[in-house]
Amino acid sequence: MIRIAAVGDIHMGLDSKGVLRPAFETLPNCADLLLLAGDLTRHGTVEEARVVAEEVAGLPVPVVAVLGNHDHHDERPEEVTAALRDAGVRVLEGEGTVVEVDGARVGVAGTKGFGGGFVGRSGSEFGEPLMKEFIRYTRRCAEGLRTSLAELAEQGCDTRVALTHFAPVADTLAGEPLEIYPFLGSYLLAEAVDEAGADLAVHGHAHAGTEHGMTSGGVPVRTVAQPVIRKAFNVYHLKGGRSAEAAAAASGSA
Amino acid sequence: MNDPANVEYRIAHLKERLAAEELGELGIRIEHRGSSVNVVGTVPTSHCREELLRTVNDQLAGLTVHCDIVVADAAAPDHPEEVA
Repeated sequence: MIRIAAVGDIHMGLDSKGVLRPAFETLPNCADLLLLAGDLTRHGTVEEARVVAEEVAGLPVPVVAVLGNHDHHDERPEEVTAALRDAGVRVLEGEGTVVEVDGARVGVAGTKGFGGGFVGRSGSEFGEPLMKEFIRYTRRCAEGLRTSLAELAEQGCDTRVALTHFAPVADTLAGEPLEIYPFLGSYLLAEAVDEAGADLAVHGHAHAGTEHGMTSGGVPVRTVAQPVIRKAFNVYHLKGGRSAEAAAAASGSA
Repeated sequence: MNDPANVEYRIAHLKERLAAEELGELGIRIEHRGSSVNVVGTVPTSHCREELLRTVNDQLAGLTVHCDIVVADAAAPDHPEEVA
């Protein structure tokens, strides 16, 4: 069994120092790794990123993160990433990482993702350059997620998790106004997850959403936005091995 | 001052302020209902809550405002979910 702790949208500022640390120090008792699903800061400043870094520095479980839109607001995502990496956080964007848990290989593929909407109600690569680039950017994020999940399968990961900030499905947006769904996620992320296979997809971003969802390919989706889960983090227990089967099925059908 | 269109624009400007100012806040629901405005959501810290309420009261001065703003719970979970 793999024990995955996850939280997103912690929106730490300079007044947040130490708020989550007491809960994070319980992680060795209940989890094998911690996933951070983006929007770790409020404005994406390096100072705020250092608060986040201090909150997770030295934890005895691996910490894997993606950035969110807030973490880009100050337009210094590289510096935010560097501050987190200095504290040992594995920050992913279109790439994967492997965590060893009692001999099992757990792969986490991550991308911030982006918006565009869901099937039948989505934007298209059409019209103004800005509109085309909006969707193309989401496609690039989704392609990074798909390829990194596929690579994790090739690397023999028993369990694979897709980590994004934006939502891959509309299920977990229930509670948000329908009008803003295209700004909250994209079906392209779910399509990538279903094509490459995963045991769990975790995201944040939707503060008024609903925790549980599922892709059309049957991958469980959980939003871990802190305003939704109302805790410092949630813990998900996964059985290993299913993603290898899913990968074989996916490659057989390709 | 309180005609519906005016209230809607004031709500829109409040949302712009919450995003642009200290809070960087995009996740609060602010809705015009009947003769009042409801402000609902979760913020990261008690300081954020105070700042949000100050901004709401400033931007919506003269209107009846009902606020339900809670601070995010930072407690560890007491049980896991077994994902089937």
